[in-house]
Amino acid sequence: MTTSQRFGRVATGVAQKHLDAFAQTTPGVVSAVLLSADGFEVASLQVGKGGAARLAAMGSSLSAIGSAIAKEAGIVECNRMIIESDSGTIVIMTIAEARPPMSLAVIASDASMLGQLLWAAKNCCNAIARAFRE
Amino acid sequence: MSETEFKIVFTGPMGAGKTTAIGAISDEPPVSTDVTNTDRAAFDKAQTTAGLDYGRIALDDGVSVRLYGTPGQLRFRFMWDILGHNAAGVIVLIDASQRDALVQLDAFVDAFGGGKRMPIVVGIGRSGEPGALSLDAFAQRLESHGMTLPVFGVDVRRRDDVLLLVDTLLCLLELGDSGRRSA
Repeated sequence: MTTSQRFGRVATGVAQKHLDAFAQTTPGVVSAVLLSADGFEVASLQVGKGGAARLAAMGSSLSAIGSAIAKEAGIVECNRMIIESDSGTIVIMTIAEARPPMSLAVIASDASMLGQLLWAAKNCCNAIARAFRE
Repeated sequence: MSETEFKIVFTGPMGAGKTTAIGAISDEPPVSTDVTNTDRAAFDKAQTTAGLDYGRIALDDGVSVRLYGTPGQLRFRFMWDILGHNAAGVIVLIDASQRDALVQLDAFVDAFGGGKRMPIVVGIGRSGEPGALSLDAFAQRLESHGMTLPVFGVDVRRRDDVLLLVDTLLCLLELGDSGRRSA
């Protein structure tokens, strides 16, 4: 089954456009993958073939483990995870309202500013959620 | 880690019952990372493990066992390696009613070192279902690859069945230890 068959051709097309716009307007974005909660690539940006699939699976595992830890700690739900290093940042943001549930994984260079990155990624997630609710 | 604490890993394909098996024996409510399954063609169930399962059991003789479950799909292969790191042994669960059950057996046994890196015990579920493969078929398959691993028919919902797999694995560990000591 292809991605567009699984998640809907129109919605995946709209999601791809939102990802493109996000990357064009946000400094430091290197690549991004929109992924289903069970680890399939829905749409991706600037990631080589195979790399997106791998990032989708890893992002879904991290997202699921983040939710489990949040639940264990009694803070109910994990909205986002941030992995920071000297040379860049990875943000995994949950899009719980999308059907099926999804996450957005963004890889950014040290040229990014965390606050701006999170704000733009959140806006992108909101737009993607609308596409997958309709 | 104390000498009486072991880490063991439950692995096997999607739908083999890894989450259920850990839930059947864990002393505490297991940590689960189940998410919505969008691949109903691969296995028709509502949820699937994306991260890991975790539980813990204290056995009568003071032995404590940490139980980790892997996701079953090949795209989560990286989690098999992460969870397999420092594991004392592995329990491979296979659903005998699946068409590719023997290939799945090969894949998971091979991914965890074929019994050479750490002991492996195999649990076969649904072997009594019409059209399912027999336990012998799995044992013969392993033999054809030069492996002799313990193979049991199990219902992963039954605590005693899952404990049999864990106990067997612990026995193999003990034998391995005494073998090393006498060598």
